[in-house]
Amino acid sequence: MKIVVCIKQVPDTVQLKFDSQNNPMLDNVEWLMNPCCSYAVETALQLKETQEGSTVIAISLGGPKAKDGLKRAIAMGCDEAFQFNNAASDAYSIAHSLADAIWKQVPDFDLLLFGQYTDDAMHGITGPMAAEFLNVPSITLGSKVTLTAPGTIRVERQTELGLEGHEMTLPGMVCMANSSVEPRIPSIKGVMRANRTEISFWDAETPVSAVVQTLSTVRKPKKSGGTKIDGSDAQTAVDQLITYLKAQKAL
Amino acid sequence: MANIWVFAEQTAQGDALEGSLEAIAAARQLGDEVTAVLFAGTEKTETALCQAGADKVLSVQHAGLSPYNVSYFTDALVSLIQERQPDVVLAGSSSIASDFLPRVAARLKTGLILNCLALDDHFIATKAVMGEQQIATETIPETKPKIFTLRAKAYAKPVPDASRTVNVETCTPELSTHPKTRLIEIAQADSNLKKLEDAEVIVSGGRGLKAPENFQMVEELARLLGGSVGATRAVTDAGWRPYSEQIGQTGKTVSPKLYIALGISGQIQHVVGMDSSKLIIAVNKDENAPIFEIADFGMIGDIFQIVPLLIKTLQERS
Repeated sequence: MKIVVCIKQVPDTVQLKFDSQNNPMLDNVEWLMNPCCSYAVETALQLKETQEGSTVIAISLGGPKAKDGLKRAIAMGCDEAFQFNNAASDAYSIAHSLADAIWKQVPDFDLLLFGQYTDDAMHGITGPMAAEFLNVPSITLGSKVTLTAPGTIRVERQTELGLEGHEMTLPGMVCMANSSVEPRIPSIKGVMRANRTEISFWDAETPVSAVVQTLSTVRKPKKSGGTKIDGSDAQTAVDQLITYLKAQKAL
Repeated sequence: MANIWVFAEQTAQGDALEGSLEAIAAARQLGDEVTAVLFAGTEKTETALCQAGADKVLSVQHAGLSPYNVSYFTDALVSLIQERQPDVVLAGSSSIASDFLPRVAARLKTGLILNCLALDDHFIATKAVMGEQQIATETIPETKPKIFTLRAKAYAKPVPDASRTVNVETCTPELSTHPKTRLIEIAQADSNLKKLEDAEVIVSGGRGLKAPENFQMVEELARLLGGSVGATRAVTDAGWRPYSEQIGQTGKTVSPKLYIALGISGQIQHVVGMDSSKLIIAVNKDENAPIFEIADFGMIGDIFQIVPLLIKTLQERS
């Protein structure tokens, strides 16, 4: 099986701090492999382990930070890693660039894995858009992928109402959202291999025009707190809460 | 003014999805002609969509449209859009909309923005970015149709108006779809389960609950308040609760009228998913827990004393 995983490096939004102008301090925060992308890598590696002779190729569209993510992908166990960069700005042009590069460089892929969304731009549409450009089937919100027969996978999909099981004929694309497995920590051996591995560059074409434009980005206003009471006497605290909820017309 | 379509969905029970009704409310504010497009729908849903404000329901019937299939849905909507050229397509946020609308947009070479918080008269959208910590203003300037999904509760559900005319056009598109995916099973926790994003009341538990069996009191409190149960990532990762209940980054974003946080410290990962709730109540024994910074009413105390008493008090009231 030939598996292609698309990954992206993103700032750690949990640790992200803002300056006095409310701009995010992106240089003062650690950048890491986008969580959903790390589920995609883990899924690819587990499939590889069950299918002898499989190859996992990690690719990333981006500048110098993309290289760090690809090094980590190699350290985790991916076989090859490729980086390319262009000025694609919205999900449409990014998906088009990725599809175009995959079509040229790995036309014989069996499975394409994406993260459901990236923590920075939060588009949530790049994977299925790329699948459309490549004319392959797509399943989003994946939580588990297993090979059931040659050329057929089963994908568990986590929706708002529960778990669904789908079957897909390959080649195809799956977006991973919540993984049922924790992405592996690279082994020492893996890290050494990553250090020795050169990340190759693909030539990038000029991207297609963006269809979505971002006009501005501002910090989300922080909600402020209200009353705080001592609840060491539970009965008094509950009485106060009931009074409060009634006053707020919440009861 | 614009000709707006709302891609509408219905529940397994054949009722219009809350998000679809909210999208009709948004369309009503923004356009002068509102068409709801319903795939394999019931008469009940068609009526509900018109009473919510749709001028017309385009009821699309085709054997490939039930159950949901990404290829059939994409082909059907693309052919209808090409034939009838709407200016804008709106939808509620759902696992179906976010699955096939990206393919529709890619095929039509147009833009799609998911989970919008609001749309202005010029269809300029706001949406959360950077782990829900920033709000971006985005637009689809050139291409048509502009496609958006709306975050749950971004628009209030319209009050049904029974005097509105129910105007339904049924059509059966010719599709040459060869689907490569197939639904083989659905394991739903509870078919009557209310979608978490639509709940008016959510009672959530964190690590402070100490063990999965202690969620019984969270469930009971939610039941008494007519609400749903939520959880933090720590809890779902530990396997105490299903991922479908996870609120926050990598989980769901909710904005109920009442949110009760029990034994939740209030780390940013959780808070970004619930801080737009109308009223936030928090119970935590650590007085420095960050959840108190955003709680409208915070109680520094032991959930194992306070919650059973609260349940008892509410039971006595009802």
